[in-house]
Amino acid sequence: MTEHTSDISRRTLLAGSAALAAAAWAPRRTGAQGVPIRLGTLTPLTGAGGAYGPSMRKAMEWVAGEVNGAGGVLGRKIELMSEDDQTNPEAAVRAARKLIDVDKVAAIMGTWASAVTTAVAPLCWESKTFLTTVSGSDTITQLPHLGYLVRTQPNTQLQIGKLGEFILSLKFKRVFVLAAQTPFAAPSQKRLSEILPKGGSELVGGVIYDKDKTTFRSEIDQALRAKPDLIYLNGYTPDTTVVLKELFKAGYTGAKIAQGYAVNQKLLDSVPAEVTDGTYTATPSPAVDSAGYKRLAKFLGAADLDPYSCQCHDHASLVILAIAKAKGEATGTAIKDNVRKISQGGGGKVDNAVEGLKLLAQGKEINYEGASGPCDFTETGDIIDCKIRFDVAEKGAFKPVKLL
Amino acid sequence: MTEVAQLLVNGLVAGTILAVPAIGFTAIYAVLRFPNFTVASHATIGAFAGYVANTAAGFPAGAAVGVAFLVAGVSGVITDEVVLKPLRPSGALTAAIAAVALTIALENVIRFIWGNDLRGYDLPLRRDWQGAGLRIGPQQVENLVIAVVAMGALFLFLAFTRTGKAMRAVADNPTLAGIKGINAEMVARLVNFVGMGLAGIGGMLLGLDTSIDPLTGFRVILSVFAAAVVGGLGSIPGAVVGALAIGVAEELSLLSLAPAYRTAVGFVAILLVLTVRPRGILGERAF
Amino acid sequence: MATFAGLYALLALGLNLVWGMTGMINLGLVGFYAFGAYVSALLTKKAGWPMPAGLLAAMLLTAGAGVLMALVTARLRGDYLAIITLGFSEVVRIVASNEIWLTNGSDGISGIPGPWRGQVSPATFNLIFLVIVSAAVLVVFAALQRVRHSPYGRVLRAIRDDDQVAAVAGKPVIAFKVEAFAVSAAVLGLAGALYGHYTSYIAPEGFVPLISIYIVLALTAGGTGNNVGAVVGAFLVVFFLESTRFLTGGLPGLKPVQVAAVREFLIGASLIVVLRFRPYGLVPERIPRHATPGAG
Repeated sequence: MTEHTSDISRRTLLAGSAALAAAAWAPRRTGAQGVPIRLGTLTPLTGAGGAYGPSMRKAMEWVAGEVNGAGGVLGRKIELMSEDDQTNPEAAVRAARKLIDVDKVAAIMGTWASAVTTAVAPLCWESKTFLTTVSGSDTITQLPHLGYLVRTQPNTQLQIGKLGEFILSLKFKRVFVLAAQTPFAAPSQKRLSEILPKGGSELVGGVIYDKDKTTFRSEIDQALRAKPDLIYLNGYTPDTTVVLKELFKAGYTGAKIAQGYAVNQKLLDSVPAEVTDGTYTATPSPAVDSAGYKRLAKFLGAADLDPYSCQCHDHASLVILAIAKAKGEATGTAIKDNVRKISQGGGGKVDNAVEGLKLLAQGKEINYEGASGPCDFTETGDIIDCKIRFDVAEKGAFKPVKLL
Repeated sequence: MTEVAQLLVNGLVAGTILAVPAIGFTAIYAVLRFPNFTVASHATIGAFAGYVANTAAGFPAGAAVGVAFLVAGVSGVITDEVVLKPLRPSGALTAAIAAVALTIALENVIRFIWGNDLRGYDLPLRRDWQGAGLRIGPQQVENLVIAVVAMGALFLFLAFTRTGKAMRAVADNPTLAGIKGINAEMVARLVNFVGMGLAGIGGMLLGLDTSIDPLTGFRVILSVFAAAVVGGLGSIPGAVVGALAIGVAEELSLLSLAPAYRTAVGFVAILLVLTVRPRGILGERAF
Repeated sequence: MATFAGLYALLALGLNLVWGMTGMINLGLVGFYAFGAYVSALLTKKAGWPMPAGLLAAMLLTAGAGVLMALVTARLRGDYLAIITLGFSEVVRIVASNEIWLTNGSDGISGIPGPWRGQVSPATFNLIFLVIVSAAVLVVFAALQRVRHSPYGRVLRAIRDDDQVAAVAGKPVIAFKVEAFAVSAAVLGLAGALYGHYTSYIAPEGFVPLISIYIVLALTAGGTGNNVGAVVGAFLVVFFLESTRFLTGGLPGLKPVQVAAVREFLIGASLIVVLRFRPYGLVPERIPRHATPGAG
């Protein structure tokens, strides 16, 4: 048996088995007065997404803390059960099963990597647990999730659309894609190949590699043979670090563009500046002008927040408000049926859960606008639009270039 | 055409580096008569020992390689004494299984200390040398030199020193060697030290140009075994020939297979050799 | 957890057939486990086959793979066989990682259907599956016990102890070896298929050589050559794995990767200890011959 996640501080194995046995026949806690509402968080505390997981979890813990401090939801406290998905689908599936089978959470929030979300999603909709994610792959909302899934991250269509626009604006003619294998690798490449010709440029080739390797020499040789003037690095931090170093060694002097979660400050700090100079990055931009964002930034003590922590803040708020709208019924189905009633439409705009709960208690309608954006979802769970921020790495630091 | 030439260049470099652990593996087989899978974990141990020497103590690559050799060699002797030697009377299969279990245990000691993340040596990042449509990295050349020097030292040791000749005698004919007063146990310890030390150098050379992680040795063990088998288990010159053959074959396979299938090349090579010519290229004999 | 013990028991029974009874070590058993898992997952998810058909197909196709492997390796000496079979399981994993069009590569296959999953509560599903796995273990155990006590079983043991003597006695050794391998592979494939339907997600990186070592440990600790020993050993190993999780849960400040490293270290160390001090295992073979698999 391969490894189990181990946030075991509160449950030893024996307690877990006993709980499993006892809870197996106990009804789910739904509307009982005073009984805590259990919500699950599943974020990458370790692994390729490890730079974001802890802060994502903190954001959700903060929301829960604020809500509990104001009396909870109809007198019931929020209890967060947190697990580490290790940015690894196998570990995530085991963690999700524990959250669903043992902890009986009404929702799981925060999954980051698209492969993780794809693996966990079927478990959620089959057990009627609500899933909120920050993963971007188109394929995720195309799954038959029956409404038990929403995401606050722009999907691949949206992201690549803006990426293509940016590439065309900089007049690059020959683009090559070096992508790690993920659910969005192939769709991204396809979308880019459709967009670029509209502006007179061309996708001259693409390679999808297995990210768990120590060298990518042959893939880079393939890329260089196509003589691109821009290489799109569509991977995660560990493999992108290796690729950047090897591109440098191979004498590539063209431009590079990557996703902001891969080429982040941590990466810039870990390699010499000449390796990363001139690399463009694309990052979804949170709603930096909103009160919600500002309050979260103050709590987390950072001037510039990553988009995922903002999204997780919104996940927790949305789930809590949906439960309140359902008169305290803390089930995945209730959340599914009520989330859009509090996230969009005509209703008093609120930017935090505590105020939203107050208004709901007075019988008023609300429209939650979050720290990551307006949080308005389509039928399939996608957000409708999002701004993407483009930066460039110069001498080991980022400089903004454009906002699309 | 330059593509094939480039692959040949890469293959010769890779093959020369592969020869180092392959020699270690085959030498241990010659004296102790079982395939010692622990070469995999000692390649990793050497790589990390060199990493510590390089990043924590600031040793340059050459000196760090020496550290890799020593640490891996000592570890090889100790683990053999404690774990594998008591099991040798139970037969080659039991010893082979125990070696697999030992490799897993040692690999996880490394993993416990350093985790699964890729780590790179603290060396200047230099651009490859380009010419005639081919490119080769300065680090690759350096690795080549280190490998050749290590092998040269080994050949000299075996040919000209008393202990070296004793080792060859035991490998050739243990009974006769015993009669002549050569202590087989000491020779066994020595061959473990040298063999695992070479594995350690090999592991570090693999990582110098790229990065290392706990799976460094495991990734290469099938190719090491293939090199030894193709060349003829127990024959050191055979290991060198086999390693070059495997190195080039793996690179040439890129012409039609995805990069991930390189390990499959070694696997197929082993099967072919064992079916068609089990003695390998230079035959199953000793040094 | 009991379900996993059942799956491992199936794997151990499968290994026992080729190793304990026929003397052929198969360190690549995780490759057959993976093969069965993928066959059934793909057929039930992509082609919509019902689960029993998927299981059957997994068993048949994995048996075929077993025949192939046996034909190629039948004459190899024990220690060579160990490393070759290990290499085989790695090649299976590489193919699964690479042929994205077929296996979805390292993203794995998610949403594998399970019996009534989604229609009953998770707890009920787990219980139903436990029943299914237990039934499978009982059936396979009974079948293999019959083999063991049959003349066929005697031939296998003869081959294990000295295949040259068996050949001289007129037995078509290769044919027997191939057959044993095929049946063993079928059992391993069944276990893999059940695994996929249980967890709903499979990926190449879940099928690592370490699992083969778990099963070798199970068999060595439980008693080689012996079906009861195989099942007992499997339960011991799973219990051991769970208790290491318990232990490391008590050690504060360990990261998940360190916890995993401790667990894997203990498995390797345990196998060495068992080989050293109790090579016949807990439930010794009750046949008047020495029970260790033929030393090479």
